[in-house]
Parts: sequence; structure tokens; C-alpha cells
Amino acid sequence: MMRRLPMLATRYVFLTGGLVFVLVPFIYMISVSLKPQAYTFEIPPQLFPREITLNHYQEVLAKENLLLYFGNSLLVATVSTGTTVLISALMAYAFALMKFRGKNVLFSILLIGMMIPPVMLIVPQFLVAKDLKLLNNLLGLIVVYVTMNLSMQTFLLRGVFAGVPRDLLDAALIDGGNQWTLFRRVVLPLSGPGIAVVVIFTFLYSWDEFPWAHVAMKETAKRTLPVAIALFQRPDLTEWGQVFAMSVIALIPVLLVYIAFQRYFVAGISTTGLKG
Amino acid sequence: MNRKLFFLFTSFILLTLIATVFNAPVRAAESVTITYWHTYSDPETAQLARLIDMFQKDNPNIKIEPTKYAYDDYKKAILTSIAGGQAPDVMRMDIVWVPQFAKQGALLQLDTAMPDFKKIADAVFPGPLATNYWDGKYWGLPQNTNTQVLLWNQKLFDAAGIKEPPETVAEFVDDACKLTSGTKQYGYALGGTYFWAPAPLFYSMGGKVTDDKVTTSTGYVNGKESVAAFQNMLDLYKKGCISPNLLGGGIGTAQGHATGLYAMIIDGPWMVDIYKTDYPDFKVRFAPIPVGMGTNNSSVVGGENVVVSATTQHQPEALTWVKYLMSEKAQLFMAQVGAIPVLSSLTGSKDLPAYFEVFMNQLKTAQARVAHPSWSAMDDAINAAFTKMLKGEKTAQEALDEAAKTIDGLLAKK
Amino acid sequence: MSQLSVRRQVSAQTNQALGLREQRIQQRNFAPYLFLLPGAVLFVLFILWPMLYSLRISFFQWNIVKPETSVNVGVQNYLDALTDPIFQRSVVNTVIYGLITVPGQIIFGTFVALLLNARFPGRTLFRTLYYLPVITSWVIVTLLFQYLFNGQAGMVNSVLQSLGLIREPIRWLADARLVMIPLTLLGIWKGVGWTAVIVLAGLQAIPESLYEAAAVDGANLRQCFLQITLPLLRPTLVFLLVVLTIGAMNVYISGLLINRSGNLLNEAHFVLTWMDKQTFENFNFGQGAAISYLLTAIVFIVSFVQIRFLQRDVMYS
Repeated sequence: MMRRLPMLATRYVFLTGGLVFVLVPFIYMISVSLKPQAYTFEIPPQLFPREITLNHYQEVLAKENLLLYFGNSLLVATVSTGTTVLISALMAYAFALMKFRGKNVLFSILLIGMMIPPVMLIVPQFLVAKDLKLLNNLLGLIVVYVTMNLSMQTFLLRGVFAGVPRDLLDAALIDGGNQWTLFRRVVLPLSGPGIAVVVIFTFLYSWDEFPWAHVAMKETAKRTLPVAIALFQRPDLTEWGQVFAMSVIALIPVLLVYIAFQRYFVAGISTTGLKG
Repeated sequence: MNRKLFFLFTSFILLTLIATVFNAPVRAAESVTITYWHTYSDPETAQLARLIDMFQKDNPNIKIEPTKYAYDDYKKAILTSIAGGQAPDVMRMDIVWVPQFAKQGALLQLDTAMPDFKKIADAVFPGPLATNYWDGKYWGLPQNTNTQVLLWNQKLFDAAGIKEPPETVAEFVDDACKLTSGTKQYGYALGGTYFWAPAPLFYSMGGKVTDDKVTTSTGYVNGKESVAAFQNMLDLYKKGCISPNLLGGGIGTAQGHATGLYAMIIDGPWMVDIYKTDYPDFKVRFAPIPVGMGTNNSSVVGGENVVVSATTQHQPEALTWVKYLMSEKAQLFMAQVGAIPVLSSLTGSKDLPAYFEVFMNQLKTAQARVAHPSWSAMDDAINAAFTKMLKGEKTAQEALDEAAKTIDGLLAKK
Repeated sequence: MSQLSVRRQVSAQTNQALGLREQRIQQRNFAPYLFLLPGAVLFVLFILWPMLYSLRISFFQWNIVKPETSVNVGVQNYLDALTDPIFQRSVVNTVIYGLITVPGQIIFGTFVALLLNARFPGRTLFRTLYYLPVITSWVIVTLLFQYLFNGQAGMVNSVLQSLGLIREPIRWLADARLVMIPLTLLGIWKGVGWTAVIVLAGLQAIPESLYEAAAVDGANLRQCFLQITLPLLRPTLVFLLVVLTIGAMNVYISGLLINRSGNLLNEAHFVLTWMDKQTFENFNFGQGAAISYLLTAIVFIVSFVQIRFLQRDVMYS
């Protein structure tokens, strides 16, 4: 039905048309980051810069801490993602393939976690982090990021694991396997695409998060990128060129992660059962 | 997939270990660490680092750990840490926040805690000192002060044939419209409708927010002079001589001024550093705020105070740091990056940057805003009034009457 | 592979016996709880306990410096919030935001997914590009839109003027009602890619054979869409409806940045941004907590209603 040629042409037309709307803001972002300060707000606005300058990028990279913040973000995002995958996989396995008392109740409690506005938890989370000596420590960021992602990712992986063919599981059991072996040797290897989805979602979250990072990290040396971008703003002046230069730089890692894992992405979503 | 997982698992364990090791706070066994929070700009932060080095050399047992915050979320960060019992020992905060934090019990009462408080208090300008006073006690000391003056774009003035910047409000109104041409050039632009923006001219034209004893605002913020002051600006706006950016979402004053969109703006000493980095070819010119009614009441006092947490575990060391910040040496040092000193002894000092002169002169007549814990809400009320009259929803008198009612309500709440 | 099929046969035969034995093993086993342990610890520490703490605060006039001095005011905080015109306005704004962005994302997302649901050169490139807004942080995206909708030199005004649709530049960010337009556009723009990917997965689960059979029966595009695609997409769409609605009601960062300058006079708040202002600017922690619980309750009820009335099993006919 959707395969004839005139359909193909229509496809391209509509997709490209929509793409214009999607991409124009990004083009502006790159453009302003390359425009000399004086042209940031020229009237009438120009989409493409008349002059190109690398000043903003130089300024932004020259404040040496940018690399440090970049590193912090990278460390936090990577460890958060790895940990989330592990912990939510464990939980998802239990909910999907094990029988135990209170399973449904516990799962419902987990789901409630998805409906909470995260910002309302900041002050009490701060109290807990303080008592655990996790403040001013990147570990404090990691721990909270993992927790905030638990509900959604466990939900997703549960769908994935539930789709593993029953007989494969039984076959492994016959071979004398216990739950842990099943988990490691059968379920996980078959869930690659689903895990790819979890990786993308969690990395995204950890990379872009702002409110908690700003409140929990005291030392300048422990800052992450979103906080660094916010630091560029003054009460009366936003240095658009630099802000956008930083934003462009900040986009690169997430983009790379997405590109690396995205071939599993759509397939992965199917396995999570999100589609129904 | 198995090996990959194992690899992932071990690398994540390793990374976690690395993260923990690198993040364990390093503390020398015998020295005391004082945490100091601020919102200094980048050049100011660099200077602060040098100042801290100097201090630590003189005080080897005290280590200062500064943290820079973005202005917009500073209050939130302070509150969250107070809530968690993790308040910083010493903070540099906006002068109008001090009464609010004092009322919450977050600050250490300085006039009793600091042995030579009186000596230091006498050495600073009275206006900035007064911003630390609440409920009969002093809760901080002024660290640096500032005010706003008129910035005028000489090139645009020359092109319009105006030789000198306006000295009176009448001249100002005149010039503003002479320098306006459609939407390509505006004579004057304000940064927004928050009180800090119209305050210099408001005070200059004799406006007042409350009576001197801060008991009532009816008859003051909606009194004859205040209404006339706002009406003046409203008329300019209606004539198109003031840029519409003040209602939000437009081109900022700093940028507009440097690019020739706004002939005049009113702003503070930090503009020197901003223009140095962003618009190095632009020559900024300062002039005193045009005089309106009376000659002793132009412009508004701004600045930051230094306060100590009520919960600090290292009171003596914190007070030593505060005292150091109030010393002539430290004040002059930070002055090099645009922080106007609060010590009256330094007026006219040759060690201060030249452009400070116009600001320090202006400080002689600058008015302080209301020192009250509910100032934020009062600011909102005046902000709302100004916005409504600009949008034509209310007349100046009506809008300010409404503000007076709100402010009186806030003053009544203890 | 033959080994596996033999095993499958064996397993099918011994399934019953095995099933019983499995159950017995599992009932004596602590394995499930071990699997749940790490996640449970984190959940309790950083979600459950904070939630309870927040609930407790909501019944007090909370003093953050000296919590012992906080005064118990019962449900006063909730009542104050509900009767506060600013809160009421924030609810209205949030609802409007939801009513526009949720259908917006679903409609455009589905449209894009339909376009992407075929093999053609460049398909992966298109999919990746459409996903760009999703991977960009809210902070960056809000700044971008503030820039584009600038009232004096923004591109949106410039385009509208050159198309002759407006004469004067519109000051989008200065008016509490107008500002909803960039905010909702931002919300839709940011979510279309995500929605599209999920719908795409749903589309790909629909067997090609159904469409082939329909083609044999002489069905046209519209009929195919209405009678095959939509019904089979129903679970996906319901899922999207619930999740996107939750997200819309929790809108926060974009509203926060836009409300910073304060000249929108508290008329352009969303529930969470007003909560933020109450808590961190007016120091009214108790009421902030009450507001967040009111929102949680609303979210809960709406999601429940949506799932109850819209979730239905799909049957192949």
C-alpha cells in the first residue's frame, strides 16, 4: 500500500518540509555561535552569518574548566547509564519472570515513581544525600540519576524480558540453571535492542539534567555542562554567541551516543512492549 | 554479548571507584576550611582567587573554599543547603536579601559576634551599612557597593547634534526623543520593569516607596511625586522614545547600547568589564543621573553584603575572613575588577580605576531601597504596576494605588 | 539448532512437572528479593522517603532554618493554594499547555511515523534528524526559542512580517497569553521525534499481510488507515496519551526560564514553576509541597481515567 513511487516522492516532500521546521532552530544555533557578537541581534535577522568568527568557541574553550565540566558530565552520564542498566535489568527480570509475593503491589509502587514531579523531591533528596556524605561528590549525582530513571527503565525492560520465548527459559532450566544463569546467559543477550533503548534514554537524562546538578554540587570543579551553560547568563545580559557555542559542544556526545545505538532503537522500542 | 556485559560491568565499577577517589574531600589535618559562596563574574572570580591566595599566606591555618553560582539560581541553592544543614560559612549576597534571610534565622548577628564591629561599621558608607540592619540588629557588612549612572553613546549624540549628556530630567526627556528614530534607534531603554530599572530616575524625580520609618506606603508610592515620576516615563514610552524591550523578550540594554540601538541606558560599573570582553571597540561614556526634584536624591544603591551563616562551625575563622574582606587592601584589590569599595576612606583614592569617580560621586546621593524581609514581594508589586500602566491596562495613579495597597499589606505582616 | 529443538520438545513434555517444581523452588528462594534489592534501596532512599518528607512538610508552615519551630497548620496550605488566583491561573495554563502539546505531538508524530514507515534511501538519516530536538536539553531548547521569538529582532517576527501576516513585530515574550504560543510550540517541537519513534515501532508490528489482504479487497488508503492502522495502533496511542499527558503536566524548565524576568506578573506560570517560586523565592516551603502534591493527585487521577476508559484489547478480525 505504501510502496508505490508517487508515494515515495510525496514522502520525501513532506519529510523534508517537516525537517525544515525541525532543523531551523539548530541552524540558527550554529549560526549565532559563529557570528561576531555585534550581529547576534541584527535587524532584520539573518539565518546565515555574513562573517564567521571562532571567537565564541575560543572563549568558551579557553575557560579551561569547560573541559573539566565536559569530563564531569561524561563520567556521570556513563556511570549512571551503566548502573541504571544493571539495576533496572535486575528488577525487570524479577518482575517479568519470577513469581513472588507482592509482585503486583511492588510494581505499582514503582510505577508511581514515574508520576512524581522530580523537582518536588529536591530538598528532601538533598537531606538524604547530605547524611550519606554524597554531596559535592559526583557519586551523589549518579545515585540520584539512577534512582530517577529506575521506574521508567524497569518498566521498559520488563516488557522486553517478558517477550523472551518461554521454551528457551525452560530449556536452560532443564540444563540445571538457576535464576542468575538464566538472567546472564539467556535473557540479557537476547535483549540487546531493549537495552540500547535504556542506554539512550538514561544517557540523555543524565547528560541534560540541571536542577539537581546545580543544587548538589558545591565546588566549581564538580560542575556538569548544563550548569556551566546556565553560568553564562547574567541578570541583564545573555551572551548568546557563547551560550550557543557551549550548546553546540554539549550536543556532540549525546548525538554520538544516539547515533551509535540508534540502529537498535526502533527495534528496541518494539521489544519493550511500549507499542502495546 | 556476555563478554561485553562483563566488560561494561567492570569498567563501571572502576569508573565508580575513580569517581569516589577523586571526589573525596581533601582536608589538611589542622587547618580550618571556610566555604565562601558568591556570584562574581569570571574576571572577578579570577581576582578573588588571587585575593584568597594572599589571605591564606597571612593566615596559614585557614583555607577558603570559594564556590561560584549563577545569579538566577543562587537563592535556591542557598535555601536548599540551609535546609540540608549545609549552609556555607560565609556568603556574598545581594543587599536586598539580607533582611529576608535574617528573618528566617539563617544569619549570624554580626554586631554582637564580631568584637570590633563598631570600628568597621564606622569606616563604611552609611547607606550600604543600613542595608544590613533589621529588627534592631546588624546581620552583615557591606562588601561592595554600586549604583547606576547614565551611559550615553557619544557617536549618536554627535549625530543628533547634542553636545553634552542631559543634566536635568527635563533635558533628558527632550534628548530621549531627539535621539529616537522609529524602531532603528531609541533614545532610552530600560532593562525591564523590575524596580531596579526605573529606580534611578524614580528617586531622582522625588519618588518614594515608603515613609522614612517604613510603616506605610500609601501616600508615598502612590503619592504625587511617585506618580509623576512614572507618568514621565510612561509618556516617553507612549511617544516611542523608550524601547519596548522592557516588557520582555527584546534586545538587552547592554547589547543595544553598544550596537547603537539605544542612545542612553542606565546601568552599573560592571558594564566596563562586559564591554571590554564583548564589544572592545565600543567607548562607553558615563554621566551622572539627570537631576529632577531636589539635588540630593538621584539614583539607587545596589551592591552586595557579606554575611555569615548562623550555623557555621567555624565562627572565629569565618569572622577573620569577613574582616579581611573589609580591609583596605582587599577592597582596593577587588576594586581593580569593578567592585566599588565601601570604605569611605577610599573615596578619591588614586589606586581606584578612573571610571569609579562618577559612581562614587553618584553614591553620595543614591537612595536605598526598602530594607524589609518582604522586599521581593514589594518589588513584584511595583513591577506589576509599571507593567500594567505600560500596557495601558491602568493609569499610573490606579496602578500605583494598587501597589500601595499590596505593599501596606506586606508591611503589616510581621 | 537441532539440539535446541530436541530440548524444546523435552521441555514441552516435562513442562507440567517442571512447572510444579519451579514453583516450589521459587517459594523457598530469596532470589527475587535479591534481584530487587539494589533498586529497592535506591528507591526507598531517594524517592519514597523524600515523598513522605515532602508530604509531611505540606501540613506545616515550614521553617527551613529551624524546622523544630515549624507550625502545624493542617490542610491550610492546601486551602490557601486552591483559593490562590495565581495557582488557579497556573493550573489553567498547564491544562492549556497539555491540551495543545499532547494532541500536537501525537498527530505530528504519527504523521512522521507513517512517512518513515517504509524502506527508502535516507530513511535512517531522516529519523535521526527528527530525533535531534529530543536529545537536546530543555535549557538549550528554551534559550533557542527565546532567541527566535525575540520581540525586536527575532526570526519568527521577521518571517511573519515578510509574509505580510503582521505589520508590527509581536512581542511574544512580553504577554502572558501570547507567550503560551512559543511555549507550546516548543513543547510540540521537542516531542515529535520521540513520539514518532514510538509510533513507528507500533506500526512495524502490524503485519504486512493485513494490508495485502485489504488491497486484494480493493480498500483505498483512507480505509486502510482507519480500519487497520488506527485500531492496531490503539495500545501505542493510549500509552502515548498517558505518558505525554504526565509529561505535559510536569512542564517545568521551559516555563522557569521564560518566567525569570518577572514581568509576566505571575500570569504565565505552570503549576511547577509557581511551586518553585513559592518555595525558593517566597520561602513558603509548606505551600510549595502542598502544590506539588495537588499536582501529583491531578496527574494520578487523569492517568487513571485515561487508562481505564481507553485501554481495550485489540483483536485481529
